[in-house]
Amino acid sequence: MSRDVYVAGVGMHPFMRNAPSCRDMYFTAAMETMKDAGIKFQDVGALYNGYIGGEMMEGVSFAKDLGLTNVPIVHVENASATGSCAFREAVNAVKGGECDIAMAVGYDDMIKFTRSKAISAMAGPPKIEQTILPAAFFAMWATRRMHEAGTTVETFAKIAAKNWNHARHNKYAQRQSKNIVTPEEILAANEVSYPHTTKMACAAGGGAAGAVVVSKEIAKKLANGRPLVKVTGSQAKSEHYTDGHVFLGAVIGPEDLTRVTTQALYEESGIGPDDVDLVHVHDAFPIEELMYYELMGFCGEGEGDRMVADGETSIGGRIPFSTDGGLTARGHPGGPTGLAQVWDAVTQLRGESDKRQVEGAQNAMVHMMGAGSICIMHMLQKEG
Amino acid sequence: MINTPLEEGYFTIRDDGQPVLIGSYSPSSGNTYYPTRKLCPVTSEPVETIELPIEGELYSWTFVRMASIGSQEKKAGGGHGVGQVDLPCGTRIQTAIAGELGDWEIGMKMKLALLPVKQDGDKQLCSYQFEPIK
Repeated sequence: MSRDVYVAGVGMHPFMRNAPSCRDMYFTAAMETMKDAGIKFQDVGALYNGYIGGEMMEGVSFAKDLGLTNVPIVHVENASATGSCAFREAVNAVKGGECDIAMAVGYDDMIKFTRSKAISAMAGPPKIEQTILPAAFFAMWATRRMHEAGTTVETFAKIAAKNWNHARHNKYAQRQSKNIVTPEEILAANEVSYPHTTKMACAAGGGAAGAVVVSKEIAKKLANGRPLVKVTGSQAKSEHYTDGHVFLGAVIGPEDLTRVTTQALYEESGIGPDDVDLVHVHDAFPIEELMYYELMGFCGEGEGDRMVADGETSIGGRIPFSTDGGLTARGHPGGPTGLAQVWDAVTQLRGESDKRQVEGAQNAMVHMMGAGSICIMHMLQKEG
Repeated sequence: MINTPLEEGYFTIRDDGQPVLIGSYSPSSGNTYYPTRKLCPVTSEPVETIELPIEGELYSWTFVRMASIGSQEKKAGGGHGVGQVDLPCGTRIQTAIAGELGDWEIGMKMKLALLPVKQDGDKQLCSYQFEPIK
């Protein structure tokens, strides 16, 4: 059985550095999501919780605040791609006919999680696998790109500044600057790992987000005058071996993983790069966004720098990226990040994004990497 | 003090003090991997445990403004080097690298060395790093 699947509702708890409890954020995001869809928890036929840092059965415990309905609840985790994975599981539940209405909710507090993990790690002897910090992976990717393609730190700064400025109009974003952020400000921030500064690094904090997906019949009933948003493609892939493959510790993974997953998504959805109106990617650092311009086929190899210089990936440009601020400025708590992408994509396709609105948006593509080893992507399309 | 690997299975220390990484060679694909694999990731056929070359070329590098493994303090210079080194057998090693910002160039020759991390009684627990060949 394979049915068309639609996103009927999206909701968020703001991403922030000093976040309330995960339980409270989960409740807020779930309620906002169901309110947006126009349903009650009793209507949900399957629930997928996405979190990285929680305790055993934590998501099930949090769901008891919503009701006790016999609904099947599953915890999914795939590092940064956790929220995307929960969304995909919900899509598959409806697609396969398990239920007509499924919900995915993601949450995390990366500040509390990493602190707890660091304390735990320090209690024992250091491990070889922990030798390399994540900031280094992306920085080495950037250094190599500068060597091969002549990319400058100014290009990275322009990408980051663009995303900070996109977030200025997103009330849920962690980084909301009152003033326009310039590339010079990005470069003047403290260095994290050459060539990246703190203002190029994704914002770590807490937050929650959710999405309700439904069958077409239900989507029509819940539309309430709004355009339908169809899931025209859902792809998930793990790595395949490529030259220079790195196995030790967390990695950025092979570049080819995004290319292969994107190609499969284009084929499934029948939509090519010329048809896509906005894109969300795993932009933990600007080197990622730059590389994805090329790996996703929005320009030729080595032409990403020109796209940045010409403003093509800003709102109002040819193909806007990270229209809610991306991981850089909207934030990246972990579990909810992929669902925050879905929130922005859906509101954009409905025409509800106010100052961030991409005019005439018909197709939105969302992409998350999980520890460099998993790539999960979706294509969403406005219908009606 | 006796230099001892921080963890078993990643590298050994020869009698002359030279560390050597332990990897896997796959006769079925011809590929060499680090760290060791249970099966060849390309063919799912058995692999052989081997010692890897101790010299290679720097593929990329960065300087991280944080304390390195096993330390709560930044070194003079404010951080530590991290690089990727390509070995002649085709294996890329993601590794700590010796030196300070400005010391590294892509393509330079690098050699494996010990990286002291922590003392445990009469043992000096070590990880490894690559250092530029001068």
